[in-house]
Amino acid sequence: MGDLHGYGIVLHIQRASEDLLSVEEGSLYPALHRMEQSGWVTSKWALTETKRKAKFYKLTPAGRKQLKEAEESFEQLVKGVRAMLRYA
Amino acid sequence: MSLANRIANLFRRGKVDNEIDAELRSHIAMRTEDNLAAGMSPQRARREALLRFGNPAVMHERTAEADAALYLQGLWADMRYALRQLLRSPGFAITAVLALSLGVGAATAIFSVIDVVLFRPLPFANQDRLVFPFMKSRTGSSLPVSVLNYYEERAQLQTFTAMAGWSTLDRVNLERPEGSISLRAAKTTDNFFTVFGVAPILGRTFLPGEDQPGKDNVAVLSYEVWQAYFNGSARVVGQTVKLDGNPYTIVGVMPAGFRFPLYMREAIYTPLHAPESWARARGMHWMRTVGRMKDGVTLQQAQADLDRVMANLAKTYPQQEEGHTGTLIPLAAELNGFASDGKMKGPMQTLSLAVLALLGIACVNVAGLLLARGVKREREIALRAAVGASRRRLIRQMINESLVLALAGLAGGVLMSWLLLKAMNVFLVEAIARGADVSLNLKVLAVALIIATLTSVLASLAPAIRLSGTDPNRALRGGSGAGSGTSLGKSQHRLRSTFVITQVALSLVLLMVSGLLLRNLQALFKTGLGFNQNKIIAVVLDLSRGNYKDPSGKNEKDPLLTFYHPLLERVAHLPGVVASGVIDLLPIAEWGSGYDIHIAGQPPYPKNAAMSSETRNVSAGYFDAMGIKLTRGRLLSPSLDRPENIASNMVVNEAFRRKFFSNGSDPVGAHIDDAGKAEGKSGIVGVVSDIRQDLQSPPMPEMDWLIDALPPKDRMDTLRNMFLMVRTDGDPKALIPSLRGVIHDIDPGVPFRSQTMDEAVNEQLTFERMESWLFGIFAAFALLLAAIGLYGLISHEVELRTREIGIRMALGSTRASVMTQVLRRVALLVLSGTAVGWILTLASSKLLASIVEIHTAHDLGLLAGISAGMALVGILIGIAPAREAASIEPMQALRSE
Repeated sequence: MGDLHGYGIVLHIQRASEDLLSVEEGSLYPALHRMEQSGWVTSKWALTETKRKAKFYKLTPAGRKQLKEAEESFEQLVKGVRAMLRYA
Repeated sequence: MSLANRIANLFRRGKVDNEIDAELRSHIAMRTEDNLAAGMSPQRARREALLRFGNPAVMHERTAEADAALYLQGLWADMRYALRQLLRSPGFAITAVLALSLGVGAATAIFSVIDVVLFRPLPFANQDRLVFPFMKSRTGSSLPVSVLNYYEERAQLQTFTAMAGWSTLDRVNLERPEGSISLRAAKTTDNFFTVFGVAPILGRTFLPGEDQPGKDNVAVLSYEVWQAYFNGSARVVGQTVKLDGNPYTIVGVMPAGFRFPLYMREAIYTPLHAPESWARARGMHWMRTVGRMKDGVTLQQAQADLDRVMANLAKTYPQQEEGHTGTLIPLAAELNGFASDGKMKGPMQTLSLAVLALLGIACVNVAGLLLARGVKREREIALRAAVGASRRRLIRQMINESLVLALAGLAGGVLMSWLLLKAMNVFLVEAIARGADVSLNLKVLAVALIIATLTSVLASLAPAIRLSGTDPNRALRGGSGAGSGTSLGKSQHRLRSTFVITQVALSLVLLMVSGLLLRNLQALFKTGLGFNQNKIIAVVLDLSRGNYKDPSGKNEKDPLLTFYHPLLERVAHLPGVVASGVIDLLPIAEWGSGYDIHIAGQPPYPKNAAMSSETRNVSAGYFDAMGIKLTRGRLLSPSLDRPENIASNMVVNEAFRRKFFSNGSDPVGAHIDDAGKAEGKSGIVGVVSDIRQDLQSPPMPEMDWLIDALPPKDRMDTLRNMFLMVRTDGDPKALIPSLRGVIHDIDPGVPFRSQTMDEAVNEQLTFERMESWLFGIFAAFALLLAAIGLYGLISHEVELRTREIGIRMALGSTRASVMTQVLRRVALLVLSGTAVGWILTLASSKLLASIVEIHTAHDLGLLAGISAGMALVGILIGIAPAREAASIEPMQALRSE
């Protein structure tokens, strides 16, 4: 996935999750800025297709690694939950 | 984002705000556009976008906080708040900052010294390759090398790139139109500079073979000499100067920082120029050596190589060389005085322990203060928690306050260590080889500060964590007495009591050590020197060899007849002079010139017994000048002890008599086996009272020979460097102008330097004085801090127990019993501390032994006195809070809640 601005990310999440995840869209930004502080994403200002100025975010290698770790721990969680559910 | 970035953000808060605004606005705008495209009315499209987005102001604030700019803003506010808090309780602030400054300052100063002495690289290339062969004689005493042996060693050694010889026994006179200057001279073999691998900044160093007679009138200047006496002129190379009256060509200048030996600050380097008699005698051990091992050679291999060569020498010259051993010591260790025999090692270690103890006391003190303050501030913190301050926020506030303290401590510490180093400067330059290089060390300062900061942060965290976890309601209701009744308060008091006991114990150790040191120093100052140090002045007489040759260079102008005789004659008649004479080594300062002897007719001495005696050349008046008394026989006299006598005569001291005539027989009339035939053996004609050759050792056996009896050909070599000792009935310094006049009248080429014997004693004790002085200061600091800690704890306890005391009094407790109770607590703390201090001192006596021997029985009086003094100080400190406790009005105490 290439560069996306905040709004683009929100649209992507909504599409990918089939509108299951709906939070206040604005709360994405503190999260994005925190990720930038942690070095997981970088940002730059650029123009959108509609010639509007927006801040574009891009995943860094460190961010990719973090993502992988998060995925793995989530898989573990799901596995655990699934195992529990089998006995429910 | 880096910290710098975050701080920068503080100043461009506006810019960051705008950026966040722009980002959020573009989001809302894009959603609005999409909504429009989906067919909504413009109004609805915008409202829907905002609804989905959430409150933009809140989002903005949260985003900005994520950028952490806010954190720093909070930090700044905290700092200001912390500063205000500290200023509101100046007593606490001053005490804490003072404690930190003392601890950090003292530690920084001492470790700055240690850093230079121990860790700073030497000004030489490949310093890890440089070794110093430490040679020992049969009897185990230190032994220099003879020239002849040196050349054989040099030829036979295989593991060295170069092994150079050097000697600093002589000073040389540099003659200038403005008057002669006496310089330290390092006289070296041709390969001396090869060993150190340092290139000259001008010209060259010695060429191979330049240490041989005929080619050896060349000199290399140290940077200091070049700057001071040649104005740093680049044209100095090739110039001819007169050293000791002889022309030398300057061939090079060494860079600043190059010094060898390291204590030689104003040095000039010349080839050996060994006196002929020294150069020819294998038994004349006078040269030191220093070597550079070949690359890849280990110390063990080089040592094996040296052992092999020493064994060869012993085989070839059993009479002179058998039993001599050499141990290679890395040069760095040797030069810094940290070698096996170095006298600096132990004291420096102990000093660093002392300073760590002081730092420890300071940290414990600050921790105690902060804990007490934490208890007092329980209510404030509870209040802040109640109005919504988060736990994290409270802890941050506490940390910030201790950071402010640490910053103030840093400023104080820098000032403190600067003052200490300044005060130590004189001592350092004189006592430590590289003392002149010592300066405030920032690395050390940083470490000391980190320790102090960590301490104060940890100490301030304890109450913060505890309090932020408690229910604010309870804490608020508990009132100002909070902490007194709770178990947490008790455990904290136990902790603080431990702190106070630790402080008392550590300061007692420091006090005891400094007490013993001061007593030893006093003893050294009062040592029976054997002469009256207040009435004697010593003048250095360094004759220029060249001035005692006639122009043809063939005959030497006799220094005895043309210099010493007229000098002594004229000095004797100066007003104020009671007695005067000359000697070749300065009493109490110089020793080590001697050899093994055997008294004729006595059975052979055991092979490993040290049967040596010091030897001195003196004029007849020397004994009277020093106030030395004749105990047997006669003194030396120019009319009886003449150069043409077949055997020489000497006078020995009482120490000599005790050592060689322990059976009680009379030394007068005895001879020593220094010649084959009986009539050539030197005889003892008299015995005189002892004076110390070395201030710190008992008198050594000594043989004194009359300079008038020297054969004329030996006179220049023996009499070049002498000391004129003059005893007066008034102030010895008053004699300086007339002495200078007489000397320059006879030989204007002799540089004038003088020293009263009182000054000489002081100079000998430089290191001891520094040690006692530092320990004294540390002990005073420690005592002060311990007193502060004790006072703080007791008065705080009294404050917290106001209510309890009030109740007791209401129930009939008298003021006296309240006071006794408080004092009993003080006594318990002080006595525990004293006990721990004694245990510590005794347990570490082995460690302390390197600076001061503790003989418990012998020093009991002193140590008990110090302990009693310490306890007394403790009780006195307790009186004020005890009286405060006793003056509590029960009704008021109960009502105030």
